[in-house]
Amino acid sequence: MNDDSTHSGNLPNDKEFSDEEIVKSHVELSKTKHEPTANFLLAPLVFVFVFGCLIFVCSIQLSHSTNSFQLHPPVEIVELTAEEKETLRLDRKISSGEKIFAARCASCHQANGLGIEGQFPPLAGSEWVSADPAVIANVILKGLKGEIMVKGQKYGTSAAVNMAAVPITDREIANVSTYVRQAWGNSSSEVFEDEVSRLRDESSDMQDQWVGSELRKMFSDSFGQ
Amino acid sequence: MNNLAKFTIGIFFTLGMAWLAFVVGARSQFGDLVPTSEVLDDDGSVPEDAELFPIAFSGIAKQGAEEYAALGCVTCHTQQVRRVEAGFDVERGWGKRPSAPRDYVLQKHVLLGNSRIGPDLANVGLREYSDEWLHQHLFEPQSIFPSSLCPPSPFLYQQIDEPVNTDIEIASNNDPQDNRHVRPTVRANRLVAYLQALKQDYELPEVSFVETEDEPVEEDVVSTDVSVASSSAPQWLQEQIDTGKEIYMKAAPGGGMCFTCHQQNGEGLAGQFPPLAGSDWVLGNKERLIKISMYGLMGEIEVNGVKYNNVMAPPGIPPGSLTDDQIANVLTYIRNDWGNSASAVSAEEVATVRASLKGRAPMQMFTAAELTTPVQ
Amino acid sequence: MAVDSPDKVIDRSAKLAFSFFLSSAGLWLLMAALLAYLAAAKLTDPFFLSSFEFLTYGKVKVAQANAFVYGWGGNAIFAVSLWILARLSQAEVRGSVFLIFAGVIWNLAITFGLLGIMDGHMSGHEMLEMPTEVWPAMLISYLIITFLALVIHRSRQVRETIAPQWFILAALLWFPALFLIAWNGLEINPARGTLQTVLSMWYGQSLVWLWLTPVALGAAYYLIPAILGRTIDKYYLAIFGFWCIAALAPWSVVHHLEGGPVPMWIPAVGTVMSIAMVFPIAVASTNFHATAFMDIGKVWDSLPLRFVIFGTLSYTVSSYIGVVFSLPAVAKITQFTIINEFHFNQRVYGFFSMIIFGAVYFALPRITGREIPKAAKSFHFWTSTLGVLMLLLAYLIGGLTHGVLAGQPSLPWASSVIQSIQPYFLITKFAFIILAFSQFVFVVNVWRVIFPNPFAFFAEDKKEASV
Repeated sequence: MNDDSTHSGNLPNDKEFSDEEIVKSHVELSKTKHEPTANFLLAPLVFVFVFGCLIFVCSIQLSHSTNSFQLHPPVEIVELTAEEKETLRLDRKISSGEKIFAARCASCHQANGLGIEGQFPPLAGSEWVSADPAVIANVILKGLKGEIMVKGQKYGTSAAVNMAAVPITDREIANVSTYVRQAWGNSSSEVFEDEVSRLRDESSDMQDQWVGSELRKMFSDSFGQ
Repeated sequence: MNNLAKFTIGIFFTLGMAWLAFVVGARSQFGDLVPTSEVLDDDGSVPEDAELFPIAFSGIAKQGAEEYAALGCVTCHTQQVRRVEAGFDVERGWGKRPSAPRDYVLQKHVLLGNSRIGPDLANVGLREYSDEWLHQHLFEPQSIFPSSLCPPSPFLYQQIDEPVNTDIEIASNNDPQDNRHVRPTVRANRLVAYLQALKQDYELPEVSFVETEDEPVEEDVVSTDVSVASSSAPQWLQEQIDTGKEIYMKAAPGGGMCFTCHQQNGEGLAGQFPPLAGSDWVLGNKERLIKISMYGLMGEIEVNGVKYNNVMAPPGIPPGSLTDDQIANVLTYIRNDWGNSASAVSAEEVATVRASLKGRAPMQMFTAAELTTPVQ
Repeated sequence: MAVDSPDKVIDRSAKLAFSFFLSSAGLWLLMAALLAYLAAAKLTDPFFLSSFEFLTYGKVKVAQANAFVYGWGGNAIFAVSLWILARLSQAEVRGSVFLIFAGVIWNLAITFGLLGIMDGHMSGHEMLEMPTEVWPAMLISYLIITFLALVIHRSRQVRETIAPQWFILAALLWFPALFLIAWNGLEINPARGTLQTVLSMWYGQSLVWLWLTPVALGAAYYLIPAILGRTIDKYYLAIFGFWCIAALAPWSVVHHLEGGPVPMWIPAVGTVMSIAMVFPIAVASTNFHATAFMDIGKVWDSLPLRFVIFGTLSYTVSSYIGVVFSLPAVAKITQFTIINEFHFNQRVYGFFSMIIFGAVYFALPRITGREIPKAAKSFHFWTSTLGVLMLLLAYLIGGLTHGVLAGQPSLPWASSVIQSIQPYFLITKFAFIILAFSQFVFVVNVWRVIFPNPFAFFAEDKKEASV
């Protein structure tokens, strides 16, 4: 057992403290605040210095790795010109239309838009498609019956699907019409949602499907060529 | 320090600061995340017709999550792909991208885990393990990875002496004679459905897929032949199925483009296109199927008790152009995928039917009534 | 009738509660040792008992942690803190009946909780795995015990308080607050998404840092001066150390979420606060070791103090290791490895349990008037030391191997990464066997001292009370 003469103010250390002594002597210690040792001045200084360095290092670490306390890195917003925005919007509209077409139309009109000769009219290069946007929108809204001529071929629509039986929204109609009007070499104008809504309102009283010849007559200007 | 009340206030103050940050602060920061689309509109809003991610688990997968928690799988498996700079997870092929807080908002128990004695499972559903493989792994992991420490769960399975073809064969490493057959209980099926549903295969506005240079290393299946034991087919059949699948999926001349209506998973579209998976038509009479494949079908048809009314143009591009071989292959394929299991169709059978229909106009579709009425 | 010294009176008032809590703590310790062995054995041989569903590795492992922390830890905390508070306040332990009543509820709740885990009602949130139903009972019994502990403290003779009292009181008060926050956020009013993980991680780790750790530190602050007969060296630092732990520990625990699907600031703040934890660790280490090394011979001679100093040394070393492992560059390797096991076992075995053993060996003769045979104590110390060192080294080296190998994507998982750490699992299995023996000797001796004649115990107690 080493004898420590440097350590002052202690009770004799050959016997255990009683609890009363533990409390009293430690309370006493905390009242005198610090022990008169040689390192008294130096120790706090070193301490403050180390603490300061640590805070400095830690702040650097924090500023690097907290991502400014945000939930996730900022979602990259690329500044687009008006043109680019327009292209992006149209791209999305067409890709949405493509999906709708594949799921709902391609079984008859085929993915290549050529239809089936004698059964289902083609959409690629069809004058019905390139006519006034209202034509294609109306056909999708209500369906079509009666014989029609497409690209000089006669199609009977006895087997036509009643498209109105399958619910479809105005936005979907606008998207798929736009797709059809711009795919497979077609290059007609875009179809807008509000236009479709207007047509839906106008034809809301119609119980029956469109008759091909009537529809063609209504928009005969746009069938042109 | 001497006044108990002040002392108490002091220690609760220090605890309260951390509480404010990690509980109150964090909750207000990301407590109400909702699913979103992969890409946002320019003004930061979700496009109206976009698909939203993450998608909720199916009912059976949710039950599987409860089983997963109850069995303590989280003790050894994490479900989080760390950020690229914080770990090797993406390099290991455990995910296409780091996980984001939003990925978990629809899960009842978020079991991120903190220990990886087993591999990460955040994307186990993306690893293209078959259900049989997962069942075999759950029943006895060591039959696939001999050095695995994962505890076997035989209590989730019934051992079967006289197996039917939906039972799982557990191959013995030593002796093929020792192969066992087990039948999953409903709990095992839940667990597998949950594991298959664990996938982060979509991008979010805040996190995109990470480009990795190398193909991630495949996990160490020591005995590869084991994993296909339950679905092994003779080679000629497998070839026919594979070619058939190509035709089913192909949307170019020579293909059938069947998937546009009947879907890649063979489920069809409810109310519009009938399913092929488990369909009484597909698994039934071959002749009918061959006829439909040549001439198409229109009008009302009842499949598995559900009525459909639509038009199926003769498959093929151009329509009705599939050869006898192609028809044989694609029909064999649809009779042997998605859980279907029925005899193969040969080109000779197709040729016989074709000969019997000589004289029928090329595009004259069949009706269901015509096919079900016995030929006079 | 001779007049007893005040200490004797206090010891007698504490006898019933202390004996109850200590003897049940002992049973839980053995239970945890058995479960720890099962878990370790299952990692060396996955087929071991694999056909019993209630003994899957996941359940056994979780049950072991819960039995250890709430069963052994909780009961030991009650026993030791009640007695130390009573001694330092120079006040008698009152309401022993209520204490035992609460203790019975506490133990029953844990029993049902563990059965619930085995039966498959496990929540999967760290240290909150027991079924929801048992928690209200545990909370109520805990509050009763804490209330009676505060009553002792309120009736203290000297108004001023000293370090052991701060640490023990703070621990007693923190637990219910921590628990209510976590329980509310996970079960009652569940948070969505990864918030759950933040909360369960915060609770599970804070439980160790704000409940087990302060009690052990408080016991050390009491035992070292009491046995050495000298005051704590640089005692003026103790108050700084206490408030540093109070202010930093609840922040530092979340650094385990590094890289995960939570906002980056959460682990970053955790890491910074872990680094700052260097200060309270340094303070405690200086206080304990500067005092102890002035009289190292006496430390060696006194078995309780040997336990305590082993605990404080282990606390110092491994806390510094923990600080290093929280640095992001290191965490990249060590995160999710069996280093986690190193941290947990170091805290609960190497530090908390060792100090509690010391406290028990110090208190038990004073309370019961009977000594545990020296050979048994010595056996317990050496086997514990050996077991703990084996365990911690295996987990440390195994964990580093685990992390380094896992970080090489070209190595397949099961056949390479996991196979190379299997030898370490074998070592831990032996370590757990040694520890189980060691703890068995401890518990048997404690029981024999508490119940020298099991049937006469209560009769004797009644007689004493009536005197």
